[in-house]
Amino acid sequence: MLEPNFKQYKPYFELLDQLFEIERKLESIQESNSISRNLNKMKDIFETNLFSNSTSSEIGFAYHNPIGETYNETRLDLEASIAGNSTENLVIKEVIKPIIRYKSGGSTLIARKGVVVVESKN
Amino acid sequence: MENTINIGIDLGTTNSAIAKFVKGDVIVFNNPLDYGRSTLPSVVYFKKDRIVIGNKAKEYLERDPKNVVGLFKRKMGTSESFQIKSINESKTPIDLSAQVLKELKTFVNTGDTLESAVITIPASFDSIQSNATKEAGKQAGFKQVVLLQEPIAASLAYANMKKSKELTDGNWLVYDLGGGTFDVALVRIKDGEMKVVDHEGDNFLGGSDFDRLIVEKLIIPKISEEYTFDDLENQMKSATGKYNAKYYSLLNQAEEAKIRLSAVSSAEIIVERMEDEEGNEVDMEITITKSEFNDLIKESIDGTIEMIKTILTRNSMTSNDIQFNLMVGGSTFIPYVRQRVEEVLQIPVNCEIDPTTAVSVGAAYYAATKQKEVSTEKSDKKQTSISIKASYNKASKETDELFAARITGNTEGLFYKIVRQDGGFDSGLKELSERINEDLPLVENTYNFFTLTVYDSQNNVIETDIEPIGINSGFGISGQPLPEDICLEVDDYDNPGHTRLALIFERNSVLPTKRTLTFPINKPILKGNQSDRLWINVYEGPQTSLPEANKLIGVIEISGKQVSRDIAKGSDLEITIMISESRDVTVSGYLNMSDQEFKNVFNPKERDTNITLLKGQVLDLSSKLDEEIELATEKEDYETASALSKVKREMEAVEEEADKLTDDDVTDKRYQLEDKKRKIAQEIDSATKNKRLQKATNHYYETKAECEEIIDESGNDHERKTFNDIVSQESAFMATKSPLKIQEKSDELHSIIGQIRWRTPDFLKGIFAHLQRDQTKMNDQSQAKSLVDAGNFAIESQNWDRLREINFGLLDLLPRGSKEEITTKIGFGL
Repeated sequence: MLEPNFKQYKPYFELLDQLFEIERKLESIQESNSISRNLNKMKDIFETNLFSNSTSSEIGFAYHNPIGETYNETRLDLEASIAGNSTENLVIKEVIKPIIRYKSGGSTLIARKGVVVVESKN
Repeated sequence: MENTINIGIDLGTTNSAIAKFVKGDVIVFNNPLDYGRSTLPSVVYFKKDRIVIGNKAKEYLERDPKNVVGLFKRKMGTSESFQIKSINESKTPIDLSAQVLKELKTFVNTGDTLESAVITIPASFDSIQSNATKEAGKQAGFKQVVLLQEPIAASLAYANMKKSKELTDGNWLVYDLGGGTFDVALVRIKDGEMKVVDHEGDNFLGGSDFDRLIVEKLIIPKISEEYTFDDLENQMKSATGKYNAKYYSLLNQAEEAKIRLSAVSSAEIIVERMEDEEGNEVDMEITITKSEFNDLIKESIDGTIEMIKTILTRNSMTSNDIQFNLMVGGSTFIPYVRQRVEEVLQIPVNCEIDPTTAVSVGAAYYAATKQKEVSTEKSDKKQTSISIKASYNKASKETDELFAARITGNTEGLFYKIVRQDGGFDSGLKELSERINEDLPLVENTYNFFTLTVYDSQNNVIETDIEPIGINSGFGISGQPLPEDICLEVDDYDNPGHTRLALIFERNSVLPTKRTLTFPINKPILKGNQSDRLWINVYEGPQTSLPEANKLIGVIEISGKQVSRDIAKGSDLEITIMISESRDVTVSGYLNMSDQEFKNVFNPKERDTNITLLKGQVLDLSSKLDEEIELATEKEDYETASALSKVKREMEAVEEEADKLTDDDVTDKRYQLEDKKRKIAQEIDSATKNKRLQKATNHYYETKAECEEIIDESGNDHERKTFNDIVSQESAFMATKSPLKIQEKSDELHSIIGQIRWRTPDFLKGIFAHLQRDQTKMNDQSQAKSLVDAGNFAIESQNWDRLREINFGLLDLLPRGSKEEITTKIGFGL
């Protein structure tokens, strides 16, 4: 499989990071203006519209928030800093940047690793 | 087979890299497990059952020092060894370096068998240390190892970049400031021979120290100033501290800010999601300026300058004796480093080579000049036949799935590794045994492919008979496939007054599924006006047939009575269609302008037939039928005409019954009528399909010829490629015999034509002339006049880009009436 070079998409990744931040902030406030609808729409555009053309299937980028997931050294989709003393039973405690996946038809690729802080749950 | 070594390896203290000389150029191989990076952190992590090398190992370095080893290069050639707790063994620096070299071999994707390599060593290495490096190379499976000093490698990279292999006699410095170590060397060239004359270094200075300084000296004091903390620095830096996790988060941000500050004059660090001792939420944006950062690292940089001064004094030289100072290592990207070193020493800095890969690149250039000295004995002893019988669930709803395999053949001394093809998982190197088990993590709702590769003890790939491991994850598994296309009815802008179907979900899509589409509405909906209506009609049935011929499975009507304000034409309607596993259809329409959502769930067992809609459709169908009969008669296609006339009689009966139906009819009448209507539509559809197909096909070929001509005249490569792509699919879409599919392709060709035309002068002039004739009708006369003047000037000066903009401007000024008014039924379309 040819790895697409994702460098050129960096500004888009930065936009996705901002959407992620907004989404996270929305979770903590009660608002009546259905901002999340606009947010989801933007996420959807990234995932299905922005990079697709009529001759190919849906191509796009989507982010994933791995908060609370378990972590170990086999996870290449994340760059982690380990806090605390133990390295056993690590869980993701803070997400600095979400994982960005490239989606094309039914398959996905890691386009940008997530950046997280992990800590033992023990 | 190549006669020269060609492979160069930078076996660094903190990072390593591998490069190859190919036909006059050097390629640095990318780390296959770390997109975008060509370096491998020189860190090895031992777990009970696996070995992990590189980035992942580095993450555990500080937290699990009993099992993770880094910086072992500093111990090369000593008798010291590292006791590894998890495997209860000790590893020498040679063993560890060999692991890194073996991992680097996996970067090489050119299919070479790697038997020879040039490996770089620091200028400070003595012969014992050098031999130890050679030994590591041998352990990693290289039969021939040639050593090269790092400053020489960097100099070679520079010389080759300059394409002047013969540098003039003289002296220069190689200033190597990396992530964790600093080295400086004085290099002399005399009569074509390059030599390291002297060197200095600091094993504990590098870019990561600068990140730490930003957090400790700038961020922590600023937070403590605004909020209440007891000794925040300690709470952050201690592993048991309350804010230890936050410390790493800030280090990350500091690194990013540091990189940004190389380009801009200030960078922001946001501190949030943290509470102080009094329970106040911390929310701060800390600005770090370039000068603050420079002050912070000044002391460290001055320290490196002192080392250079020492070298100069020791060799009785002054700055004037040095041609330039070659900058190597990632931290020399920092402008202040370059500037300060140049300013104080008054030696010009040279930043022309890529500081992160220079050493491996130089090593590869050197390797290209070195003869291979490996006896070409057939290494057929590697041909161990390994057979793998794998067992796993091909579909899973879990977040991970157990993979088990039974191995036949001699597994002794062999290793294996499983990686996920999206680059998100690597099992690490594990010993191969008769039975192996591994938990494979899955990405939700997608096909996950994994590859299992077997290696010998020197990381050469051993061929096996295992196929890629494919596991489908997520709810898609148990869902049934859709039996028919699901479509949305839209106004057909190519065929005003008619509607067509837009495909939402293709037949055989797996349930559940969901899709959102946005359409600008093509008519205003005035508040309170019952007759202003939008229809969201969802049909089941082939996309290629007429809407009326398909089964209506969901409908939402939005009228002026329901909206909370006037909805303007052109504002967005967002339609979401969701089909559950049990085939419940949820349709929702959201009007952006009024922030209103209209939602309904349709159960496949209960039909919901809207009488207004039904009546309208019957009327439409009837007039469509009349039209078709007339057309067929005109064309003397009596066969079709008679088939249609038969349908006409049924149609009349249905019309009559529909007429009698009241809006609140409670009988089954509406369903019966709906069925009859559908049947009639299907008959019309099949009777006229040939005609429509013929029309679409003719139209396609005409458009194709036109498009080809215009591309030959003025098309660019991209347009030609798009054109060729469409043409190459021709046999496939023609075979569908679907007028709509073929029309779609004609449309695509049309858009290429349009694209080209809008930059050809003749077309632009033609449009302009046409618009000029309408000038008196334009909405804003003074603006129209100035645009027309500007347009004439643009033609005179042959500024076609400008003329295009002017044409668009003039088009906007046309009164609404003269833009084509279309009759619409649905309220939005394609």
